[in-house]
Amino acid sequence: MPNEIDKGRRDLDKVLRNPVKRPDSSVSLTRRTFLQRSLVTGTALGAGAASLGLLPLVNTIDVAQAAGESFRFAWVSDTHLYGPGVNERFVDKTVKAFKEIQGMSPSADFMIFGGDLAQKGRQDELQLGSDLLKEVKIKKLFIPGEHDWYLDMGAEWEKRFGGSPWSMDHKGVRIIGLNTIGHAPDYWTAKKMSPEERMGHMEALDGTVAGAWAGLGRPQLKWLSDNLAGWPKDKPIIVFSHNPLYNYYAPWNFWVRDWQEVQEILGPYSNVTNVHGHTHQVLYNEIGTMRSIGMLATSWPWPYAPGVPNLTTPMVRVDPGDHFDGVGWGSLTGGDRVENEYMMWRKDIFATAQADSGAGDEGNQVLNERIADKQWPY
Amino acid sequence: MKIKLSNRIGLLSGSFLIVAGVAVGLVASFSDTAQAHKVKHSPATLNAFDQVFMEQVRLGDLLFHGDPATQKKMGVTLSKTGMACAMCHPRAADTHPYEYPKFQEQINKFSTLRDITNWCIEKPNQGEKISVDSDAMKALEAYMYWSTRGSKLDPGRH
Repeated sequence: MPNEIDKGRRDLDKVLRNPVKRPDSSVSLTRRTFLQRSLVTGTALGAGAASLGLLPLVNTIDVAQAAGESFRFAWVSDTHLYGPGVNERFVDKTVKAFKEIQGMSPSADFMIFGGDLAQKGRQDELQLGSDLLKEVKIKKLFIPGEHDWYLDMGAEWEKRFGGSPWSMDHKGVRIIGLNTIGHAPDYWTAKKMSPEERMGHMEALDGTVAGAWAGLGRPQLKWLSDNLAGWPKDKPIIVFSHNPLYNYYAPWNFWVRDWQEVQEILGPYSNVTNVHGHTHQVLYNEIGTMRSIGMLATSWPWPYAPGVPNLTTPMVRVDPGDHFDGVGWGSLTGGDRVENEYMMWRKDIFATAQADSGAGDEGNQVLNERIADKQWPY
Repeated sequence: MKIKLSNRIGLLSGSFLIVAGVAVGLVASFSDTAQAHKVKHSPATLNAFDQVFMEQVRLGDLLFHGDPATQKKMGVTLSKTGMACAMCHPRAADTHPYEYPKFQEQINKFSTLRDITNWCIEKPNQGEKISVDSDAMKALEAYMYWSTRGSKLDPGRH
């Protein structure tokens, strides 16, 4: 596996070293304070947050682009809900995010849910998620995560939230929702796995049995290519995906295995923004002409994997004793500017020194593949 | 020594039973006393030691990933939230066992890897604290060290 990781890094390096292929606009990182309507009007939630100094500081990625009408939307993903009564903390954080999104002023045009609503893909988990989603009255869009899918191969998810990929045009922007999770190589049939066993292997991020499950697959790559065929090369595109559309860390599927084909399709377009979940951390990268923004989970933060992109300003160390720390949602604008605001429920989001960084220990850390899940069955 | 190793047998399964059985035989054949190194190590001897160690890594891996059967066998409840250690620490990332012992902010005292493991079991996972020298703790420790082998030893680092 280390050789495969090294090869992946070399492949990515070739793309990154191409001096011609970059997003066509300058990117500047700034900060400003974003006030929720609930804070301004002094509701109990707002007053409490303000008194604790928890006004969320935000990361703004300002991108100058062709003129167009800007709009705001919200991203939530990776709620990882268990069935009722198992983990109330995850429920509390999901509710908090949904209430804040509904309280945005001015209202967001839509909310995108970026996958992993459920933890084990069970009906009671998806039902709980559906119930909590009723808090959000604005338009809702959905793409699935692997935790939503591998118990029944997406049947319940698609019944509730519709299929993917999909696309829509919104205020001059082509918006695309991909399914990067539903095209895993079949690791279950030959081993005669039950649906629960299949899901169990998918449930562990560091599992070795499900392998390189993240990808678009040939039919979806063709769909993407066909979808963009008539779209002007200089007009903005926003692509939602559960997994990042580049190679960050394959062993945790912090990638899609066919990212090079994706880049071939998106490469001719000069203004592409990929917004993704799955990584549960502050993350930013530019690959060719595509900028990529990793969003927070509401459930828990993943540690940084080996090979954090150089363009990422890592998030601070968070407090594992505070289940509201290191998590949150995202508020974004699209149109003539693409902005992302990390709505993390803490004062300081970004590390200013290595000692404050969640990635700060990486220099000393070597990680190795687990062994126990290779022996079938447990 | 012999009795303790035999106890491990109860936790083994499948092909591991045969391999570890040989391992126990080899290790036990040295002596029941604390003597060691009276006979030169052979490749078979080293392999036997390795088998004993890797069985603990395997058990630790299963505990770390929340396997219910292994928890039940070992009499521990490491989480009541549905979460497992590996959900925040895939491949044992950010457990950094090579940094211990050190001052641990959460506990507000000089701590070992076992101390912070228990803190994680009790606080984020809302599970039941385990004895610091229990079989489950040793297996968890074996898994975390093995998973981060090759990392730079740097005790005290925060």
